Amino acid sequence: MANNSEDLHKKLSDAVVKMEEDEAVALSSEVVSNGFDAYEAIDHGLASGMERAGVLFEEEEYFIPELLMCSDAMYAGLDVLRPHLPSVDSEERFKMVIGVVEGDTHDIGKNLVKIMLESAGFDIFDLGRDISPEVFVEKAVEYGADIICLSTLMTTTMKGMAKVVELLKERGIRDRHKVMVGGGPISKSFSDKIGADGYAPNAAEAVRLAKTLCEKVPVGEKYGA
Amino acid sequence: MARKRDLMTPIERAAAYSKGAAIDRLPCVPIVGNTSARVIGVKVSEFRGNGPLMARAQVESYRLFGYDNIRIFTDLYTQAESMGAKVFYPEDETAYLQNPAIDDERDIGRLKPADPHRDGNLPHFLEAMKIAFGEVGGEVPVTGALTGPFTNSSFLIGAEKLARLTIQKPEAVCALCEISLETNLRYAEAIIDVGCAPSLTDPMSSGTVISRRNFEAFSLPYLKRLIDYIHGRGKSVTLHICGKTDKVWDLMADAGADCLSIDNEASLEGAKLRVGDRVRLMGNVRPSEIMLEGTEEDVAFAVKKCVSVAHDSPKGFIVASGCSLPTETPFGNIHAMLDTVREIGYPVETSRLAAANQ
Repeated sequence: MANNSEDLHKKLSDAVVKMEEDEAVALSSEVVSNGFDAYEAIDHGLASGMERAGVLFEEEEYFIPELLMCSDAMYAGLDVLRPHLPSVDSEERFKMVIGVVEGDTHDIGKNLVKIMLESAGFDIFDLGRDISPEVFVEKAVEYGADIICLSTLMTTTMKGMAKVVELLKERGIRDRHKVMVGGGPISKSFSDKIGADGYAPNAAEAVRLAKTLCEKVPVGEKYGA
Repeated sequence: MARKRDLMTPIERAAAYSKGAAIDRLPCVPIVGNTSARVIGVKVSEFRGNGPLMARAQVESYRLFGYDNIRIFTDLYTQAESMGAKVFYPEDETAYLQNPAIDDERDIGRLKPADPHRDGNLPHFLEAMKIAFGEVGGEVPVTGALTGPFTNSSFLIGAEKLARLTIQKPEAVCALCEISLETNLRYAEAIIDVGCAPSLTDPMSSGTVISRRNFEAFSLPYLKRLIDYIHGRGKSVTLHICGKTDKVWDLMADAGADCLSIDNEASLEGAKLRVGDRVRLMGNVRPSEIMLEGTEEDVAFAVKKCVSVAHDSPKGFIVASGCSLPTETPFGNIHAMLDTVREIGYPVETSRLAAANQ
């Protein structure tokens, strides 16, 4: 039984890194039963563990299976802690819509980017896979997304990425939504060519890029329920 | 300047190159799949269930560009489809996986290996291979694309589920690979029976996706059994794995592959130094950034760079795209790839490539 919150944070972080889902749930329950701060447990515990897992992924110590299992542990812990967060104005958090562009169903890359962005405190609306440019724009407007995040593995969808940027221009709302792109066939030069705001080669870079695009994520209140 | 012409057929060139005899140029393989639909002016979806049309497209494409290998290929899902996966066919683009064959590992027992003469679209692919081989098999190798056991397994149960199972329940992954291998072996047998050779692709085994340890557990043993069978039938094997592969090059060679197709995300030079004395290498011009989006000058520059890096690889080098070409790759860029290789000629004079090295 951990006797202080810092100890629990460390254990939560380790449970995520070690892919121990049951342990993450048990520790999260302990945070709640001790009356410790849920936000801090997420930030210093679960999210910190996911960030460490992301570093291991970048260092090629962890691969996609490991990262997915870490995220399972993180989300299991989040399910326990989220109901105990103080309600905050969700306008404070940066919002994103993310999806795989129409013509493709490869979504592991998109899911990894989503996981890393969520653990970094972004509010993510996952549209899923095989999503048309029109739906991306429609949902971005509906959710008031700061960033539209487009993923693909197949070159066949690249025109769809360009179409998203065009649609934003046509509707005169290009300046309201940043567009970031990534995936196997995508490059910085392609991103520049279609007039996107940025390209990221992997999930960790996607977080850095998103932060740059938003300039700064408000401190605190990142994990509103 | 007049275009240089080929003086040898691909089969003559390959044979001479392997013996260390004189050749007119390095072998060159822009990996053409659905781009062949553009060559004969048909929609990609028309290939579905139409062996003669696939054969015509691939043969015409070979005749137009003059590359060194025909690969009957439209997408990676043909074997998984024949085992129950659902594939979506857009009207005029590459097909993609709609739903895996099963959702739960408890259903693995329900899966059956495919009969290549009966199930899914496999019979049409075999017909295409047979026709293409009959028409041009005397001058150019005709191969049939075969998706490796681990990758095929990802289409049977879904990539994320398979990834989690590698940690949660490795024996389920082995069971999926085993049944995929059985389909692979039957299909390989049928491909060889019509005169062709299987060409292996296994993108999920990439170092971008799984660790070396997982490769050893779930990719290597099954690839090796498949390649042993193909070798037993007297055919050599090219193995393509997408993305980063530097951590498993030695294992890809251990699996028995005769030629490794190196993706543009991996280093040709590194591959040459590490396994160039064991296997032939091919690669690795960027399919999207250079072949689809670049100019003919970009293509020429990229080809020269690859040649300067890998032409002296001990077991030989084939100039190729790093992965299959996008459907809409401009013909001019494919011609530019071949023409640059023709212009370089053989033996390669590195001084003439110097400009590309800077």
